[in-house]
Amino acid sequence: MRLLKALGAWLDFRLRLGEGIREAATHPIPKSSASWWYVFGSAALTVFGIQVVTGILLAIVYVPSAAQAWSSLQVLNHDLTLGWFLRAMHGWASNFMVALVLIHMIQVFLFGAYKFPRELTWIVGVFLLLMTLGMAFTGQVLRFDQDAYWGLGIGASITGRVPVIGGALVHLLLGGPIIGGDTLSRFFALHVFIIPGLLIGFVGLHLLMVLKLGINEWPMPGRIVRRETYLKEYEQLTHEGVPFVPDAIWKDLVFGAAIVAAIGVCAAVFGPFGPKGQPDPTIIQASPRPDFFFLWLFSLLSLLPPQMETPVLLLMPPVAILILLLVPVLSGEGEKHWKKRPVAVLTVLVVAVALGSFTHLASTTPWSPEMDAWSGAPVPISELKGRSALERRGALVFQAKQCRNCHRLGREGGMRGPALDEVALRLTSDQLIRQVLQGGGNMPAYGKNLSPAETTALVAYLETLKPAGRAPAHDASQP
Amino acid sequence: MSGGDLWSRIAAVAGALALVSCDLPGRPGPEPEVLRPEQVLDFATLYSQNCAGCHGEEGRGGAAVSLADPVYLAYADDAAVRRVTANGVAHTLMPAFARSAGGMLTDKQIDVLVRGIRAWAGGSAPGGLKPPAYTAAGPGDAARGAAAYQTFCARCHGPDGKGGSGGHSIVDGSFLALISDQGLRTAVVTGVPGLDAPDWRNDVPGRPMTEEEVTDVVAWLASQRTQFPGRPYPSLQPKNQGGTQ
Ligand code: HEC
Ligand code: HEC
Ligand code: HEC
Repeated sequence: MRLLKALGAWLDFRLRLGEGIREAATHPIPKSSASWWYVFGSAALTVFGIQVVTGILLAIVYVPSAAQAWSSLQVLNHDLTLGWFLRAMHGWASNFMVALVLIHMIQVFLFGAYKFPRELTWIVGVFLLLMTLGMAFTGQVLRFDQDAYWGLGIGASITGRVPVIGGALVHLLLGGPIIGGDTLSRFFALHVFIIPGLLIGFVGLHLLMVLKLGINEWPMPGRIVRRETYLKEYEQLTHEGVPFVPDAIWKDLVFGAAIVAAIGVCAAVFGPFGPKGQPDPTIIQASPRPDFFFLWLFSLLSLLPPQMETPVLLLMPPVAILILLLVPVLSGEGEKHWKKRPVAVLTVLVVAVALGSFTHLASTTPWSPEMDAWSGAPVPISELKGRSALERRGALVFQAKQCRNCHRLGREGGMRGPALDEVALRLTSDQLIRQVLQGGGNMPAYGKNLSPAETTALVAYLETLKPAGRAPAHDASQP
Repeated sequence: MSGGDLWSRIAAVAGALALVSCDLPGRPGPEPEVLRPEQVLDFATLYSQNCAGCHGEEGRGGAAVSLADPVYLAYADDAAVRRVTANGVAHTLMPAFARSAGGMLTDKQIDVLVRGIRAWAGGSAPGGLKPPAYTAAGPGDAARGAAAYQTFCARCHGPDGKGGSGGHSIVDGSFLALISDQGLRTAVVTGVPGLDAPDWRNDVPGRPMTEEEVTDVVAWLASQRTQFPGRPYPSLQPKNQGGTQ
């Protein structure tokens, strides 16, 4: 013990760090800020620490080459003691980190902590959020399984829509026109060097500002932030305040430990993510799913009318980021308490509900038009009873041509087109034939892919799709 | 706590963790999470992904042949089931599944399917009469078939096959264009389970059809095929040409 102390003293004499650390640790903070509400930021930092450690350990085994990435994950999962646990920790910590950063951000927003003089802290925080999401995205690409392909495919198709330079951007992102070995090298560099490097730098800046500007005080309704008076008021609060260590830090430590334990339990119980099937584009039976925090994006994509997709995709992210960055500039002063800021609270609620319900939609409805799975679902027997031989052949045409990938029948099937259970009430046989042969409105034309006999059978079947006893659609131009 | 003590504790915890890790629920099993499609050898999976859409869940209630029907299983042998599964039936909606024929399944997977379908028979052949042979002995005689039709089928499908009190039309050109002769034979022998279409024994109760009668009726049905089935689309014909006159 005495030896340690001597060594410490020797080092400190030369490094001169002790003073600063002591000062930072014991700096006074407003009494009210030693709160359980103020633990999310430090917890996110703790999880980031886990990511750095587990990430370095994973990088020792992982091979960033298209040919070997997938099998090196198999080695981790099956051949190395606790290798799977390491992957599980890294994967779950990633989800926790995204969640914690979001919660931290919402808390900061609702507590008005971004107001003067902490505007820059918030702006740096917005970049930290983007980098965290960037880490999550590049991380799932490194898994290089079918889901990674999906994520990349969507990412590339969004990028490709940028006017004029879209193609060049895709090339830059993927290292070529298609997903290949170079893609993986790029994402590996992004995931282990570029983004983490920036992230560490920005985290340092963020922390420095938190230390120098002090932790936000607990907001009080009616206590207005003004540039002229705020610093004085804050000084007053810290004057009556408590030292950060130990009065506040124990809550951070307890919460941080609880989060680490939760990640450990999730990792142990639910195990690592994937790798799902091999990323082999020749396998067409794949049904990939994105990680949960990108699910909402897909359901938004599949619900938007096609002509809206490009503008929404290209305008939404920059506009959203711009709004986030402008928040402290636009409302740098004024009320901090949420009770006096109904618009702020409402905005948070609306965004949360929107994202939540899009995510729910995407995880409960069949959304991918590529999925074969739906044509594997049998035509419900109720749709076959009382049908003629021709009509039942038509049902087979319907299955064979995979109309179900886009259309629901008996509640099973894709969502790209309308459900067809009652289509005969809406369309006459002329209109049905036209729709099938000529397509239209995002539906492919089947004219060249169906023989006249198949078309006749198919339409005969579609004409039976209505509730018993209801009259079929009537052609108003005919008597 | 001395240093050595601490280290031995850490080692003990790590050891315990390593031991426990053998049966933590999150530990991935030996199989890959998602098999490559050609590695799937589970009958239920193969069947539901490839066949259930047309032949129905568990081989019943689909729009195509009920493969689990005991009558069908007594009538069709393994070779026939395998041949059709591998190569499909030309000009019908039954696709070829073998890789050699442009499909997605390996020979091993087709074996699994044939064995699984066969296992639906449950080992016991239906008692009583032996069903007619799967393959017709000869081409059959359409004229004799017309007579057999009147005896066995007309009461349901009407005097000319265009539909009657007990069943719909079976001579529609588009229908006949989408079913093979073998498919017609299967329909006559097995009927349509679940839709009240009788098998070969019960068209006329107590008077099963003979081998020749089955073959002849199929020949007659086949003779009803038209040259340009489904054309022209009746409802796409302009209904009142040249305006309102
Ligand atoms: C790629 C997805 C897709 C596939 C595959 C597809 N459809 Fe469609 N279908 C659509 C869309 C989208 C619409 C809506 C078109 C519109 O808005 O005009 C539609 C509309 C229809 C309609 C009109 C429904 C109504 O209520 O107006 C019918 C009938 C129809 N499809 C039948 C079929 C049949 C039969 C097949 C298979 C041969 C098929 N579709 C395959 C996407 C698809
Ligand atoms: C797109 C619809 C479709 C799918 C999918 C399909 N079938 Fe078929 N199948 C048919 C049709 C239609 C027939 C009748 C063909 C004819 O007219 O002879 C048939 C006939 C058969 C027959 C012969 C019946 C007889 O008359 O002896 C067998 C056996 C069979 N299918 C097995 C399978 C198996 C096994 C699968 C899955 C690997 C499968 N089918 C998938 C439509 C389908
Ligand atoms: C008891 C009445 C009855 C008799 C007798 C009968 N059928 Fe049917 N048949 C039906 C019914 C019911 C269907 C189901 C579809 C329908 O309603 O048309 C059917 C369907 C069919 C089909 C279509 C099968 C398919 O795969 O879609 C054919 C072909 C057929 N019958 C031929 C015959 C022939 C040939 C005979 C005489 C040997 C015959 N049927 C005797 C009632 C009958």
